[in-house]
Amino acid sequence: MTIFSGEYATLPVVTTATMLPFVAFLLIILLTRSRPRLSAALSVGAIAVSLGCALFLLGLHRHLEKPIQYTGRWLASSEVQIPFGFLIDPLSLLMLVIVAGICLLVQVYSLGYMEGDPGFSRYYAFMSLFAWAMLSLTVSPTILQLYIFWELVGLSSYLLIGFWYEKFSATQAGKKAFVMTRAGDVAFFLGLLLVLLHMGNLSILEMNGPQAAARMSPAVLTLSALLIFGGIAGKSAQFPLMTWLPDAMEGPTPVSALLHSATMVAAGVYLFARLFPFFSLSPTAMNVFLAIGTISMLLASTMAMVSNDIKKVWAFSTISQLGFMIMGLAAGGYFAGVFHLTTHAGFKALLFLCSGVFIHQYQTNDIFELGWLGARRLKAPVVAIIVAAAALSGIPPLSGYFSKEAILAGLAGLSNPVWLSAGLVGVFLTAYYSFRVIFVICLPQTHATASEGSSHASGLNHEDGRHERQYRTMARPLIVLATITVVLGFFEGPLKDFLIGRPIAAEPSGGGHLAWAQYGALALAVFGAWWAWMEFGRPGAGLVGFVERMPPLYNLFAQRWYIDHFYRLFVDRIIDRGISALCFQNDNKVIDGGIDEMSRGTVESGRVIALLHTGAIQHRLIVTFAVIVFLSLYFFF
Amino acid sequence: MIVPFGHVLMLAGVLFSLGMFCALARRNLIMIVLGIEIMLNAASIIFVSAALHWESLEGQAFVLFILAVAATEVSVGLAIIIYAFRRTGSFDPSTYNLLK
Repeated sequence: MTIFSGEYATLPVVTTATMLPFVAFLLIILLTRSRPRLSAALSVGAIAVSLGCALFLLGLHRHLEKPIQYTGRWLASSEVQIPFGFLIDPLSLLMLVIVAGICLLVQVYSLGYMEGDPGFSRYYAFMSLFAWAMLSLTVSPTILQLYIFWELVGLSSYLLIGFWYEKFSATQAGKKAFVMTRAGDVAFFLGLLLVLLHMGNLSILEMNGPQAAARMSPAVLTLSALLIFGGIAGKSAQFPLMTWLPDAMEGPTPVSALLHSATMVAAGVYLFARLFPFFSLSPTAMNVFLAIGTISMLLASTMAMVSNDIKKVWAFSTISQLGFMIMGLAAGGYFAGVFHLTTHAGFKALLFLCSGVFIHQYQTNDIFELGWLGARRLKAPVVAIIVAAAALSGIPPLSGYFSKEAILAGLAGLSNPVWLSAGLVGVFLTAYYSFRVIFVICLPQTHATASEGSSHASGLNHEDGRHERQYRTMARPLIVLATITVVLGFFEGPLKDFLIGRPIAAEPSGGGHLAWAQYGALALAVFGAWWAWMEFGRPGAGLVGFVERMPPLYNLFAQRWYIDHFYRLFVDRIIDRGISALCFQNDNKVIDGGIDEMSRGTVESGRVIALLHTGAIQHRLIVTFAVIVFLSLYFFF
Repeated sequence: MIVPFGHVLMLAGVLFSLGMFCALARRNLIMIVLGIEIMLNAASIIFVSAALHWESLEGQAFVLFILAVAATEVSVGLAIIIYAFRRTGSFDPSTYNLLK
C-alpha cells in the first residue's frame, strides 16, 4: 500500500517542492510588491511547504534502492536528447532537505532582520527565486538542467549581494561575484560540451555509470573533469577564483548566511558529489582537486586569522571549509564530503545568523567594537555562536567534529602524508581563528570603554519594543539551528546508511592510522583554542595575535595573499591596457577609420563628378555631338 | 541631275556645321532653336538629293515628315522659350540652373 502511494506521490510532491518558491516569486514580483507583509508571508509559506514536501520525500524514500528519475523531452537535436525532469536519489533528497530547511530558517530570521527595509518585498522575491533555483538544481537529472539552474543561482545571488544597490560597494561586490563565478562557468560549460560530444547525452546517471569510462578516453575524461571543476571552483570560491566571496559580505547578513551555508557556494560541492563517480574515473583530476582544496583551505584560514570584520572571518572560514569538503571528496571520501557539507550548512548558517543579530543590534561589523559595546549581553546569540564556533573548530560532541573526523580519516587513507598534515594544520588554524572571534566578542576586555557601551545601550532603549520583537524573531531560528548543530553529529551512522547504502561494510582506511589522526586533530583543535585564549581570552591578554607581531606575515594575510592585487594588476595591465586597448584601437582606427574613409571617398568622388554637371544645356549638347562624332569616326573608319 | 551629288553633300555638311555651331555657341535660346532647325534642314537636303541620286521616292517622303516634325517642334519650342522668358526674364540658357 505504502509503496504504491509513494510511487504515485513522488512526482507531484517534487514538483510542488521545487515550483512553489517560483510561484511565490512571480506573485510577489507581479502582485504584492507594495504589501511587504503579504509578500513575506507568501515566500515563507512557500518555502515551508517545500520543506514539508522535502521531509515527506525523505521519509518516503529512506530505503531507496535505486535512483528514481522522471524526465520529459525538452530538446531534441538529431541524436542528442536533452530531457527535463527530476532525479531522486539519497544525495538529492538530503540536499533538498538541507536547502529547504536553511532557506526557511533564514527567511524567518529575515522577518526580523529586514523589518522596515524599503525593499522588503523585493528581498523576499529574490529569496524565493534563490530557493527555487537551488531546489531545482538539486533534483536535476541532467547536467544541462543543472547548469541552467546553476546560472539562476548565480543570478539571484548577484541580485541579493547587490541588494542595497544604493551602496556603491554592494553593487561592485555583486558584479564581482557574478563575473568571477561566470569565469568558472565558462570552463564548466566547455567541459559540459566535451562530455556531450563524447557521450551523446548529459544524464547524470549515465555520466556516473560505466558508459562514461567506456565512451571517453582517459585524457578527454581528465580534461572534461578539470573543466567542470572550473565551475565548481568559481561557485564554491576555490583557490584561483576565491576573491569574490569576502566581498559578497556586502549583502544583508541573512543573505550571507544563505549563500554560505546551503545554497550558492554549496552548489559547487554538491556538483562535485553529484558527479563523484565520474570524477573518480580520473585520478589526475582528483589529485588536482585535492591540491586546490588544500590550497584554498590553508590560504583562507590564514586570511581569517587577521580579519577584524566578523562577517569576513566567517566568509574566509567558508572558503576554507569548502576547501576541506573538496579535499574530503577528492580523497575519495564521498560520504565524508557530503556529511561535512550537511553539518557545515547548519553551523555556518548559525554563525552568520548570530553575527547578523550582533550587527543588527550594534550596527558594526568589527569584532573589537562588538566586544566593547557588550555584545555578550545578548544571551541566545552568544550561546549559539559559541556552539557554532566550537562545531566549526571540531570540538567533540558537536556536529563539526564528526564530519571533520570523517574527512581526516579519508585523508589519512591517502599514501601521501602531505594532505593529512595540511588538513591537521587547517584544523588548528580553524580553531584558532574561530575562538579568537569568540573570545574577543564574548569576554569582557580590560580596556573596554564602559561609557561608550552604556551610552549605546541606552540609545537602544527607546525603541525597545520593536527591537525586542525583532530580536525574538531572529533568535528563534538560532535556537533551532543550534539544536541541529548539537545533535546532527550523532546521526552520522544513519546518514551514511542512507547515502551509501548497506553494502559498504568497513572503512577502507587502516584503523591505527585513523585513530592517530583523530586524536591528533582533536588535540590540535584544543591547542588552537588554547592559543586563542592565551592571546585574546585570558584577563590581561594583549589582544594581539601572533601573526600581527610579524608585520610581513600579517600584511600578507591581511592583503589576502595579494590575490586581489594580482587580479587587479592583471586586469589593469593585460586586459585593460593590453587587450581592450588593442580592441579599442582596432575599433577606433581600423573599423571607424575605414568607414570614415569610405564615406569621405564617396563625398569626394561625388564632388568631382558633380563638376561635370554644370546644368547648362549647351555643354550637354557639346558632349553629345562630340560623342556622336567620335562614334561615327570609330564605326566608319 | 545637273548638280553633282558630292556638291550637295558638301553644302549639307557646311549647313549642318553652321547649325551645330549656332546651337552650341550662341547665348540665346531662340538662336539655339534656329541652329537646330538649320541642322534639320541640312539633313533634309541630303534626303532629297539622295532620293534623286538613287531615284527612289522614300527620301522625299521622309523630308515631308521632317518638315512636319520641325514645324511642331518650333511651335512647342517657342512656347517653352516664351514661358521660360516670363519666368526668368532672360534668354540665356546658362541662367536656367535651378536643377544644378
